[in-house]
Amino acid sequence: MKKKIGVYICHCGGNISDYVDVEKVKKSIEDEGGVYLAKTTMFACSDSNQKDMVDDIKGNELNGIVVASCSPKLHLTTFRNVSERADLNKYNYVHANIREQDSWAHSDDKNGATEKAILLVKAAIAKARLAEPLIPNKIQAQKAVAVIGGGIAGMKAAIALSDKDCPVYLIEKAPFVGGRVAQWGNMFTSNQTGEELITKLYHELIKRKNITLFTGAEVTHNAGSIGDFRLKVSVQPRYFTGTCEEKQLQQAIDACPVEVLDEFNFNLTKRKAIYRNAASEYPQTATIDMENCTRCGKCEAICDKIDLSQKEEILDLHVGSVLMATGFDPYTPAEGEYGYNEVDNVLTLPQFVRMLELSDKKLIRNGKEIKNIAYIYCVGSRQEEDGNTYCSRYCCTSAIHTSVEVKKKFPGVYNYHFNRGIRTYGKQELLYAESLQLGDIYLQGDEESLPEVSGESGKTMVKVKDILSAGRLIEVEADLVVLVTGMVPRADNSVGSMFKLPKGRDKFFNEIHMKLRPVETFIDGVTIAGACQGPKNIMESVNSALAAATKSYSYVSKGELETEPIVAEVDAELCSWCDACTAACPFDAISMTNESSKAIALINNSVCKGCGMCLPVCPTDALNLIAYSNNEIESMIDALAAG
Amino acid sequence: MAGIDPKFGEALKNYGAINFNACYNCGTCTAVCSLSTPENSFPREMIRLSVLGMEEELTSSLKPWLCYYCGECTTYCPQTANPGELMMSLRRWLTSKYDWTGLSGLLYKSLPLTIVAFLLVAIGVISFAASQAFNSETIMHYGHYFEMIAIGAVFAFILFPNIIRMWYFVMVRSGKKLSLTTYVKTSGELFIHMFTQKRSLGCDDNQFRWFEHFILVIGYLMLLFTTVFLDWFGSQNLFVILLGYVESALIFIITVDFVKSRIQKNREVSKNSQPSDWFFVIWLLLMGLTALLVRSFIGLGIIENNLWMYLIHLTVLAQWALIIVPFGKWTHFLYRSFAMYFEALLAKAN
Repeated sequence: MKKKIGVYICHCGGNISDYVDVEKVKKSIEDEGGVYLAKTTMFACSDSNQKDMVDDIKGNELNGIVVASCSPKLHLTTFRNVSERADLNKYNYVHANIREQDSWAHSDDKNGATEKAILLVKAAIAKARLAEPLIPNKIQAQKAVAVIGGGIAGMKAAIALSDKDCPVYLIEKAPFVGGRVAQWGNMFTSNQTGEELITKLYHELIKRKNITLFTGAEVTHNAGSIGDFRLKVSVQPRYFTGTCEEKQLQQAIDACPVEVLDEFNFNLTKRKAIYRNAASEYPQTATIDMENCTRCGKCEAICDKIDLSQKEEILDLHVGSVLMATGFDPYTPAEGEYGYNEVDNVLTLPQFVRMLELSDKKLIRNGKEIKNIAYIYCVGSRQEEDGNTYCSRYCCTSAIHTSVEVKKKFPGVYNYHFNRGIRTYGKQELLYAESLQLGDIYLQGDEESLPEVSGESGKTMVKVKDILSAGRLIEVEADLVVLVTGMVPRADNSVGSMFKLPKGRDKFFNEIHMKLRPVETFIDGVTIAGACQGPKNIMESVNSALAAATKSYSYVSKGELETEPIVAEVDAELCSWCDACTAACPFDAISMTNESSKAIALINNSVCKGCGMCLPVCPTDALNLIAYSNNEIESMIDALAAG
Repeated sequence: MAGIDPKFGEALKNYGAINFNACYNCGTCTAVCSLSTPENSFPREMIRLSVLGMEEELTSSLKPWLCYYCGECTTYCPQTANPGELMMSLRRWLTSKYDWTGLSGLLYKSLPLTIVAFLLVAIGVISFAASQAFNSETIMHYGHYFEMIAIGAVFAFILFPNIIRMWYFVMVRSGKKLSLTTYVKTSGELFIHMFTQKRSLGCDDNQFRWFEHFILVIGYLMLLFTTVFLDWFGSQNLFVILLGYVESALIFIITVDFVKSRIQKNREVSKNSQPSDWFFVIWLLLMGLTALLVRSFIGLGIIENNLWMYLIHLTVLAQWALIIVPFGKWTHFLYRSFAMYFEALLAKAN
């Protein structure tokens, strides 16, 4: 069928037409083969122009259109929708980017920019001439979502999904829910404690029948893809068949001969092998840490609900989408970093928060009452080139909030903040103001003059060149030095690798686009939420959790998914299964299949992204990328080279 | 290595400093200040040193005196940290640091103590009058002597030693050596600033403020001269009599305006009046007013029968000379001038 193509060239206000002579472009392409009409327009994306396009297509029975405007990242969907409204298959629309790739890039050379625009539009016309109507692939989507990580983000996401009537599997690795938030005390701005917040959410969780919560559980295996993830989950036993009586449980804990460092208190204290972190912790049953348990049986003898013979269970889950909310680890300073593990009075902010929670009447370290506290900011954040260069966002606020809490609880204490510029953005600025009013002292260094901690003759001294007082060297004797540590990715992020989630330069999981697609990943069907994506405070984590829940829901809500038909296809006759393409495929979309007793490659349409990496490695040219066939690409090159 | 003291800020609040803790060091105050220069930058640096409690540096600093309180910094401060009032409080604090007796500090910090001091002086004057059986002639005779003796004694025992202390804190601690000739050659600065306050012309605000202040200073100094050396109250010379009337009337008019502005709080400088500010301006007003009335009573020949009028004047005068001049706000007349003098000397040493 002979093509009747409509070409629309956009001024973009002046973004394009200030540098590209759009009228000249129009004239130059009017006589190209297949071009039925050519128009320039002030804003191609405007409602009025969209309407004109629909009328043009319908009125002239156009069977192909080319839009030359901005990047397709912005308006591809806009013009695909225009095509569909005009009953034209949307794959018959071809885009030419003459703004980002032309007018903006060549604002110094108007003639050259116009010449380039002509060629780009001609190439697009060449492709439009060969374009064929395509039908999106449809795949079944299992209406259930697996949320990995039962911290604040995971819990909120699970609740949000459940409220949309979507079955949720909430999978938490630790024996208790709540993640990091459960460890914090009073929090800004609600004045709730972490424990209260988690308790509230837990009650919300268990009220909902379509949420299945697994604690002590890990995803060990993943197969499948968007709409159809098959997960294997290993669930560790709690070694309890029911709840022991409070008194018995305490006796059982007291009887346990094993003592290990308590991670919940960041190793400040010790706990037994049979333990719980707080009396109100959820699930309310205690647990036994089998890595350290000696199976002496003393606890079993006290409470008959304890059963050391319980075994791990492996479950199979079938879900349409996976929401990752695996959280962060606090940065652990290197040995000797600001005196960490070398000077006695140095600890990290998370440790100090726990210490504050555990301290009642007096704040005591090594038998001495604490009067002066030095906080050193940006530990593990904003480091030099090869370290963690990012800002961890929450730490300024957290340190200041903690210092205010200290001052409220122990009024005689003086706080000294050795910072590198305070970043208490938004409402958090109120805390900074409060702390200033309480008389806290802020000393500011920079990357060239970081604070130094020394501990000699029983005195812990912190000094810095304060850039706010003309670089005067200021020294403070501190009874306690708190290292305000930032966030780093989880030490064990293997669950991300299992899903092949890409990581950013900061080693956190990476979204597709920070602003345009903030919770989606390059792995279709897998969304990310909370601090596994990068440093976030609780509010930001919860926001991203709700966004990710909505996105994950959108994958599974209809029970069916449409995917792009632009994927690779295999010519069964030419393919001889040399296996070269599987290595080239970044998405594991290619496998081997037997067709009429011949081994050939098989493309998984729901996984293939149409990136084209497999095409050049195929020695027999058996692979073709739909909509980017050799024919189409060659005709575009011809059009570009002809100029 | 500098030591810091977080308690200093609290102490400074007793001298009238308000909310300076709120400062987040943006430097807007310094940017808008028309007197701040790259070499002598303030007020932010002064706020910083106050927050950190670097007392020694503050004691040696002349910067509080280099500010003439136009109040732009306070108007533009995004944190309402009131830099202008902080500078004012530092001047009060410095005054108490210079004062070897320590009385300045006590009076600045405690209003009850100030009131007690004023009452004691009043009782002293009345007792003295009673001891003289309220004889107007002897009382006025001694009153005249008292004025001369008080001026001499206050200068010799309080103000002179305090200026020496200021010189020690500023010049000696700076470690800069200057010859006596430089001191003498530069002394012009001292007198220019003492009598003209010309630096305040550099402030961006209404220069009428400078004019009023200038007239007040000249009027005050001349009235002092007219009463002490030309014996206004006793003189028969028409010129002297008229001169005294004009001077005391000027003092009265200008101080009424100052008091009005402190009541209306219509300028940054008059928004946060401390007791020391009120006493200073009201007593100056009372001095002008009572001097005027006493001289009128003398002129009308009714002072013998109305000795109470003279006793009020003498009480105001005694309170002024024994409390406000040595330990109160009057001292800014000296310290500001010497600050400009020392500043010029330090500039020469560089």
